[in-house]
Amino acid sequence: MEKKLKIVGFLCNWCSYAGADLAGISRYQYPANIRIIRVPCSGRVNPLLILKCFQEGADGVLVSGCHPGECHYKEGNYYARRRMLMFKNLLDYFGIDKRRFNMSWVSASEGAKWADIVKKVVEDVMAASQEKTDL
Amino acid sequence: MLQMLKGIKAKNHLESIKYFLRYLLQEKRVDAVLVPKRHPNGRSVSHALITDPLNTEGSDPLAPVQTVNAACILKELTKEPTDKKIAVVLRPCEVRAAIELIKIKQVSDENLYMIGYDCPGVYDAKEYMNIIEKEEDREKFTLKYIEAFLSDKKEEIRESCSYCMYFTADSADINMAWIGLNSSDLVIGVNTEKGKKLINDLETEEISDSSRRKEKIGMISTGRKQIQKDRIDNFLDLIQPCIRCYNCREVCPLCYCKECLLEPEKMGYSSVRYMNRAIKKKQIKMPDDTVLYHLTKINHMGYSCVSCGICEQACPMDIPLGMIYNVFSRKIQALFDYVPGRSRDEELPVTTFREEELSEVEDIQQPRGK
Ligand code: SF4
Ligand code: SF4
Ligand code: FES
Repeated sequence: MEKKLKIVGFLCNWCSYAGADLAGISRYQYPANIRIIRVPCSGRVNPLLILKCFQEGADGVLVSGCHPGECHYKEGNYYARRRMLMFKNLLDYFGIDKRRFNMSWVSASEGAKWADIVKKVVEDVMAASQEKTDL
Repeated sequence: MLQMLKGIKAKNHLESIKYFLRYLLQEKRVDAVLVPKRHPNGRSVSHALITDPLNTEGSDPLAPVQTVNAACILKELTKEPTDKKIAVVLRPCEVRAAIELIKIKQVSDENLYMIGYDCPGVYDAKEYMNIIEKEEDREKFTLKYIEAFLSDKKEEIRESCSYCMYFTADSADINMAWIGLNSSDLVIGVNTEKGKKLINDLETEEISDSSRRKEKIGMISTGRKQIQKDRIDNFLDLIQPCIRCYNCREVCPLCYCKECLLEPEKMGYSSVRYMNRAIKKKQIKMPDDTVLYHLTKINHMGYSCVSCGICEQACPMDIPLGMIYNVFSRKIQALFDYVPGRSRDEELPVTTFREEELSEVEDIQQPRGK
């Protein structure tokens, strides 16, 4: 990557984290820009956590959880989906390009999908305005 | 369907409201009434919890001032169960806030009768106090204000009120109506079973024609829609003066959490960390995290914000919080077609979900609208 983008990924323990693990074991190549934080469930991620990442200089944030209907806690990701949609829709007002925040569903068996998503997220964040706002 | 209460004859709207409240107490339909009231020498109006019918004299819910969002008082009054029945007289934004609080079990309406009323808007409280100091007859001042409202004379109302779209209390148990009606008698709309019970054997007469009211309400709404803002381009500049005094959180009816993650001891850093952050970022604003404070607040309660504007009134730095929270919260609420306090049966957007929805957020491989 030409520019050293830093992207924070919040991955749920049960699906996406395992998916990312699988990507590693299967030796799928993907950009090293992502720093992974393991969370119990995508429903655990609150907007403050994401804002803190942006405040501390992250270029992008990705929240990834189990596919709808497959959350280990049954419905955590459904709530997360609503919360994150609200959050995303406000980002523009705060001077943060929407493309710097993404959400995805990756299951434990989708190592290839994980690698693919990271590539796309990096592209997205790269394309986004990198103007830093002082939160 | 609106109905006129027979037997309550009054010279003006204020008097008819007063008679109604006195009647409720006299007839022991309720044990107490909560209503904004003028005080003989005080410079403002404040809420009184009245148990003696004679004390309803001086009740002035129409006075153009809102000192607190009364939904906050309901939290206090119903935090433990009691068997006393209270009629609470509320502005539309207070009814809506109360309904939001009922949904999240911060207010119990078991023994409450919510009596709402058409709201003419209010002045900023400090402005009201300055004006009223020079007025000899404070009741007359309220009536003059209502008259001006009805004859479309523009009054300098608080900005949040100037674009408020919910100025009739349609989700209260009973709403007292006066906009677009000729009569100074008491006209009420009964919206719930509870409301029906409260006035069950009172003689009423249906008002068959309320087309003039509808027209008037439509006219006001159209005018207000036009001045409502949809965008804020300089949010960060507007928020800059914030000193994180927590006033806006304290007065907000929807900031109900007993333990708030915005508490200084939760948000703050160690002294070393402040220094380290300042070194890393070259400089940090102090008090810090003022933007983060608002962004977190709006994400936490925006779906329920009723745009009462009481936060703006409480802000010592004159930040246009009413407008900011109005724009942000309408944006969030529109995603779920949600209007806070519109109906008790609508669940809060964050406490429910549909399995099939919002596919646009979940996957970056899908085309996304910008
Ligand atoms: S954020 Fe402000 S306008 Fe919205 S409900 Fe709270 S006090 Fe009222
Ligand atoms: S009341 Fe005003 S100064 Fe105080 S925290 Fe709220 S916005 Fe900041
Ligand atoms: S456990 Fe994976 S999203 Fe809830």
